Amino acid sequence: MSDPIRIPLPKLKHLYQKAVLSAARAKLSPGGSLKALPERPVLAEHPGLTEDQAEQYRRLVAGESFDGSHRRSLPSVMLHIAGFPVQMALMSRDDFPLPLMGMVHLSNEVNHHQSVHAGTPLQILARAENFASHRRGTQVDIVLEFYPKGLDVKTAGPQDQLYTSRSRYLGLGTYLYSKTEAATQVRQEFTPPSKTGVWTLGADAGRQYAAVSGDYNPIHLSTLTGKALGQKGAIVHGMYLAARMLEGREPESAGHSWKISFDAPVGLPGKVAFSAQQVNEKSQRFVGWNPRTVRRHFTGELTLP
Amino acid sequence: MAETPRDAVIIGGNRIPFARAHGAYAKASNQAMLTSALNGLVARYGLQGEQLGAVSGGAVLKHSKNFNLVRESALGTPLDPRTPAYDVQMACATGTEAIGSLANKIKLGQIDSAIGGGVDSISDAPIVVSDELRAILMEATRAKSAGQRLKALAKIRPGHLAPQAPGTGEPRTGLSMGEHMAITADKWGISRQEQDELAVASHKNLAAAYESGFFDDLVSPFKGLNADNNLRADSSMEKLTKLSPVFGKDLGENATMTAANSTPLTDGASAVLLGSEEWADAHDLPKLANFVDYEQGAVDFVDGAEGLLMAPTYAAARMLKRNGLTFEDFEYFEIHEAFASTVLAQMKAWESADFCRDVLGLDQPLGSIDRSKLNVHGSSLAAGHPFAATGGRIVATLAKLLHGKPGKLGFISVCAAGGQGITAIIEGR
Repeated sequence: MSDPIRIPLPKLKHLYQKAVLSAARAKLSPGGSLKALPERPVLAEHPGLTEDQAEQYRRLVAGESFDGSHRRSLPSVMLHIAGFPVQMALMSRDDFPLPLMGMVHLSNEVNHHQSVHAGTPLQILARAENFASHRRGTQVDIVLEFYPKGLDVKTAGPQDQLYTSRSRYLGLGTYLYSKTEAATQVRQEFTPPSKTGVWTLGADAGRQYAAVSGDYNPIHLSTLTGKALGQKGAIVHGMYLAARMLEGREPESAGHSWKISFDAPVGLPGKVAFSAQQVNEKSQRFVGWNPRTVRRHFTGELTLP
Repeated sequence: MAETPRDAVIIGGNRIPFARAHGAYAKASNQAMLTSALNGLVARYGLQGEQLGAVSGGAVLKHSKNFNLVRESALGTPLDPRTPAYDVQMACATGTEAIGSLANKIKLGQIDSAIGGGVDSISDAPIVVSDELRAILMEATRAKSAGQRLKALAKIRPGHLAPQAPGTGEPRTGLSMGEHMAITADKWGISRQEQDELAVASHKNLAAAYESGFFDDLVSPFKGLNADNNLRADSSMEKLTKLSPVFGKDLGENATMTAANSTPLTDGASAVLLGSEEWADAHDLPKLANFVDYEQGAVDFVDGAEGLLMAPTYAAARMLKRNGLTFEDFEYFEIHEAFASTVLAQMKAWESADFCRDVLGLDQPLGSIDRSKLNVHGSSLAAGHPFAATGGRIVATLAKLLHGKPGKLGFISVCAAGGQGITAIIEGR
């Protein structure tokens, strides 16, 4: 691994301000070009998520309570929330070739190796890889690795990892590669399965997740800001959908893995029809869709150890 | 049947007529309705001044100020105030659970007499404030200075002030009970026609029972009502087939559940008097039937492994096995009509060789239920379903039906929210 750039845990608010500024600058001088890809990961120390945050999260997803004895393990999406500022810091560096504003979350793959509790200090490493052509721009994988505090990350092995995730993003409209390289995707026909639940999301669902996660991306906050970023209105955070999908299904002792792929965004306010299907003893498959238009919002999978 | 130390006898019942929500009882509270139902029972059986073993019941939609709903209601009656009273709650099976557990106490000799029942009001349902506002108000309560209190109260935003009414949605799935049932009905292939036929039969049977005077000693007037006001004696297939589906609309052509073959939201209360044989004799009271046994069931519905309202299917299998009975041993069946499709899906499951073998673990299917024995005096589709009051309505109706038929058996099935349910056996005397 190339030497990580050590950074203090960033404040998300500042990163979004910077992103908005650079988006405005890009409007003045359009036409992106392929700069050198960021090779060095960034590494930040995190003091640990707090019990207050865990309680806020629990209220957000109406989940089971963290009683500190039978349920201590933080949900995967909370760890994503802890790692998000580090990922954002990486993506707002000058050597990152895609503009942060208007970045679309395509998918997430997570290995939740070991359980992490509130108050556990962490080291969080973020790196970018697999820049690739996409028919609507350029995609990139942001990899997050979580290690315990005090461990030398450079010599750490997979057994030391607490949590790893690969989030795939699309830099919409930024073509770092020639457009012709991108294969046209064929939209698959979707026949919904029998639903097992319905999530009713209020107009403030984006603001509520933002308050818990610190992810104040304006695309999630209001009709106006959502429209400014090319949506019909505010859309819900992809990770909120992941949080609802996983709530009550993650094992306390961790060791599980899961993934989610996003299709059409969920406009707010809105309803999501949801189906959970048992594939076998260890694995469940999920799908969410718009009950009115029958457009698919996401598919997911959870595999227990 | 299972041996018990002594019999628990059903002496009689009383209920107020059930009223469609936001109608006749719009201004009546849970406590007012339950007190009235208890008063009627006390008057009918001369229980003024009597100290009973216990009064038990509950309400599904209950305000926190009603933390002692049944005790407060009992104190409002001429019963001896030294009669203990307590609340129970098991969603729509609340009344049945209250009666069943009181019967067990009588059988064990712990008590000699009891009243079990329930009440529910949609019209007077508790409205609560949002979690955010509640958190702020609590913070202000804990504040030690006026400044701290002001600081807490300053956090209140207009959005926090919107009141929240209780819904019928399952907290873990977000689906309403009707939407859950639509999925189960589709899975079991329950047709629109079957459901409408069951609804028409329910209205016709209830109307005929009122006509014959069957309910004269089971129902007391309340707030100007003499009979359940959801009852449509002129209900017909012709009228019902015109209605559009209200649940499972995403099933398209397969959407079958309408407002007529689903139970409307209802207000009402019921109470049933139970006692030991000796207590009934000593007080010169009738002995309609014995409460023989009951069984609770619950299913794993959250990710759709089983239908929300199918728990009685499982409870019935265990209860019948324990008592060495089959459906052929029963004279009457009372299957609570949460929805017409609930009754039909449960019956299809009991008829299914595959389901009974693979899921219930039985050697052979429980078999079919003769329709002429099913809900013969109507059920919830016609009478309405004030959640916790339904158990008392069913137990009293079935006990009266079996009175004068010693040894003849009646079967009860009541489904409940949360994937639960109860089945029970009553024996005529």
